[in-house]
Amino acid sequence: MRRNIDIAVALGIVVALPLLLSSGSLASEVLIYALAVLGCNLLLGYTGLLSFGQGIFFGLGSYTFGLVLTRTGLPMPLALVASIILGGLAAGLVGIVSIRQKGTYFVMLTLAFAQMFYFLAYSVPSLTGGDNGLLNIPRPPLSAFGVVLWDNTTAWQFYAMVAVIFLLVFVALHRVTTSIFGRTLLAIRDNEVRASAVGYNVPRFKLLAFVLSGAVTALAGALNAMMVGVAPLANAEFHVSEMILVMTVIGGAGNLAASLIGALFYVLAADWLSTLWPRWLMLLGVLLVIISLGMQRGLWGLIEDGFLALTARFKRTGEIRVEEKQV
Amino acid sequence: MNRRDLLALAAAGIAPMSLSRLASAQAAEGIEFGAPFPMSGPFAVNGKYGELGVRMAIQRYGTVIGRRLAYSVFDTEAKPATAVRKVQEAAQQKNTKFFVGGILSPEALAMGKEVHRLGGVFFCYSGADEITGKECNAATFRWPVPAYGAVAQTLRPLIEAQPKAKRWYTITAQYVFGEGMLAATKDVLKEKGVELVGNSYHSLAEKEFSGYLTNAIAAKPDVLVLLNFGTQSTDALRQAISFGLHKKMTILVPWTSGLEQFQSLGADITEDIYFGAQYWHKVDSPTNRELIAQVNKELKIMPNYTLAAAFICTKCVIDAIAKAGSTEPKAVISALEGMKFEGLTGQEQIRKEDHQVIKDYYLLRGKAKKQMKDADDYVDVVSSGQSFLTVEQAGCKLS
Amino acid sequence: MSVYLLQTVNGIGIGMLYFLLAVGLSIVFGLLRFVNFAHGVFYLLGAYFCFEAVRQGMSFWAALLIVPLFVAAVGWVAEKTLLRHVYAKPHEFHILITVGVALIIQELVIVQWGPLGDSVAVPSGLEGVVMWGDFIYPKYRLFVIAVTGGLAVLLWWVLEGTRLGSAVRAGSESPEMVSLLGINVFRLFSLVFALGAATAAIAGVLAAPIRGVEPFMGIEALAVAFVVVVVGGLGSFTGALVGGILIGVVQSVMSTLWPEGARLMIYVAMAAVLLLRPNGLLGKRG
Repeated sequence: MRRNIDIAVALGIVVALPLLLSSGSLASEVLIYALAVLGCNLLLGYTGLLSFGQGIFFGLGSYTFGLVLTRTGLPMPLALVASIILGGLAAGLVGIVSIRQKGTYFVMLTLAFAQMFYFLAYSVPSLTGGDNGLLNIPRPPLSAFGVVLWDNTTAWQFYAMVAVIFLLVFVALHRVTTSIFGRTLLAIRDNEVRASAVGYNVPRFKLLAFVLSGAVTALAGALNAMMVGVAPLANAEFHVSEMILVMTVIGGAGNLAASLIGALFYVLAADWLSTLWPRWLMLLGVLLVIISLGMQRGLWGLIEDGFLALTARFKRTGEIRVEEKQV
Repeated sequence: MNRRDLLALAAAGIAPMSLSRLASAQAAEGIEFGAPFPMSGPFAVNGKYGELGVRMAIQRYGTVIGRRLAYSVFDTEAKPATAVRKVQEAAQQKNTKFFVGGILSPEALAMGKEVHRLGGVFFCYSGADEITGKECNAATFRWPVPAYGAVAQTLRPLIEAQPKAKRWYTITAQYVFGEGMLAATKDVLKEKGVELVGNSYHSLAEKEFSGYLTNAIAAKPDVLVLLNFGTQSTDALRQAISFGLHKKMTILVPWTSGLEQFQSLGADITEDIYFGAQYWHKVDSPTNRELIAQVNKELKIMPNYTLAAAFICTKCVIDAIAKAGSTEPKAVISALEGMKFEGLTGQEQIRKEDHQVIKDYYLLRGKAKKQMKDADDYVDVVSSGQSFLTVEQAGCKLS
Repeated sequence: MSVYLLQTVNGIGIGMLYFLLAVGLSIVFGLLRFVNFAHGVFYLLGAYFCFEAVRQGMSFWAALLIVPLFVAAVGWVAEKTLLRHVYAKPHEFHILITVGVALIIQELVIVQWGPLGDSVAVPSGLEGVVMWGDFIYPKYRLFVIAVTGGLAVLLWWVLEGTRLGSAVRAGSESPEMVSLLGINVFRLFSLVFALGAATAAIAGVLAAPIRGVEPFMGIEALAVAFVVVVVGGLGSFTGALVGGILIGVVQSVMSTLWPEGARLMIYVAMAAVLLLRPNGLLGKRG
């Protein structure tokens, strides 16, 4: 039962967003980044791998989606699938090379690869549009066999589609992380040497986690490109990798619903703060400092602790009454 | 999810609507302008002055066709995806139809497409040729002269002024905009029979130019042309001066942001350097004089390019609304097309076929410090003129 | 042919500044195992404090001495009040808090000095260039090479020849051992962090007449510092020196060989070192 709280929370938030927010685009952005954070969390929270390279897959997903829709006649769902596949492949490549190193060296490698991808992205303007970005990406309706199933024109219609995709991915990842595969990843995160000694092929597990992470992040990039109609160079910038990582840590590692909370918090906070003061990044900085000082397990940990404190108090009063009776 | 998060969400959802500046309570009756600018991040200086420019225009007019003017700024963070998302929101929530902004080309291109999709009007001031070229659309208008004209109006007069300068060297930023300037440079040099003895590309975000300057020195040119913009042209020029290149060759920076760039360089560096600019506050035109008076009084500064550009873009849209007598975007677009007006550089006109404003571009030359009559008197205007690709050459097809 | 020689000399010049930028980051990581994403803003503060001091009439030389002390104080305070509390937490919190601190300081700089950049004049006596035949080089950059060379010697002496230095080197191998020996480890950490901030600030002061000041200059500096630290070896002083010079030369020579790729090549070098010699060219603990 406790395991399914994650899914209940995700569902709750997805349903609540249209009720609480007035902007469909903002709500979609929350879920899109939540997907990217899920990908990052899979690496950080579950496998213990701190990756500064998620921007590679996010950007690649955007570019792939854009190229497929603008250069080929393939339908939108296939474009999404293409992004997922390419994201996974790229992550596999990056993973094979990076996993050889551990700890800080791994982090630095992902950083180096992220910079190299950025360079690649603006060096082939014929494919990516260079610094102008890949433009004119359409937002086609969801259709099958010529019949329009779901029109994506308005922001809330688009949100509905993103929400469904998000929930599907969430449930799938939930299955993965609660499976033996997921538990093995956790074992690797906690003590890699022991996991290896027990007989697990640690590099293979890490690589699989990477591929999955890349695929999900690329999907997020593709949806982002579809929402804004452009695959900009900025999607492959270091700042995207940094932002995704920050959201992951804010939310809390090792728990899928935490990823949604982290993305929700950051996207909404950034959006709101940016209307207050041009120097809102300072406020964000203060927030980050407070979170790192105060919270070990991110916002999700805070919520869990709060929940436990409430229920514990409830349980305790019950016990006391029984004791008094006995006396 | 606990109540605290719920309340925070609710606050976050409602807050943006209530906290935008100058948002009138009568949003329904007023005319709302959207001002998407990079207020935070590396281009924050453009955001700051852009907002002031829009503010000056809105304050100046106050109302048009009997309705109150208002604007709200949203921070694009110099990210096209964020810019597009906030444009979508403004259109949805405040029914904003008129947008002024987009100084950065990737943002401007992306926003232009979105505004077009939403059926609004977008008057931008970015320099990429494509905005009124192959990526043009009915909703997008552009005030500044694009890369082609900037190069033509600075190189040609300089070549003519220095007939002995036969060897030219370029340092080019390796992005689409830089490539555009380089292509235009090569055309002009070829036309005038002058040799391009070499080119050094440099990457985006480069800050160390000594290597490229060493290449330039080795090529022994008569003129060095810096084909980049923003902090990169500032850094490159500063380092070129430190290498003493200004004593060995003429230096030209075809694309600058005028006063704000000269201020960050300082008169010691700008002396005797040739600059290209879209706007100079000493140009005498009625609209410019009025703007200077207003900005001097309200803000106690001299208008710089970003402020002036944002001002004139907003003014054009307001004038078009007045001319059309309606806020219906299609009517406003029709009013804008072909509109002749008193601009900041003199008489200006919006070309109907590609929505490009036809205006002067300036070649400026840095003054010596002791010749400056006031703190902002950095340059003399050497020449000005108009050079534009034809609509066919630009590749714009507005159907 | 001679262009490559010029580029190599120029590269050494750039590289010395990169060394100064990176050595603080390297030493802090070596001792504290702390990934400091706020390192770039100490460079930024060094440059801006220098700009302000010169604007207020102070001589550049006085600024060169005084500004790093101020920035060291900022680093000291930051470490004592904020950063110390996350040492025990996983690495991602180090990153989170230092990113936060970096944002705060960067935005404070904009609040104080505005978003537009500015210039700092080259100190008088060092303007102009030296010329050896075809070779032109700004006098000021030669001065920077000399100063950073001197600082390198000074730092080396501190690390190898003083008790503080021994404590730092020992602490890099084993913090527990150092505290068992009776050294106040916490004070050592604060001191080292402040030292790291000071070296970054000196780099900022020296760079200001070359690069000007601009609120986002810390971002690129941080990226370069990371590359140099990785190439040289985390925690290694000589590694930072060798790494800095190597990266400077690579960047400079590439601007002639493959100009577009100059910036890319430094990251390729970083990745290559990480894959082939992950402890860096001179890193310990192989």
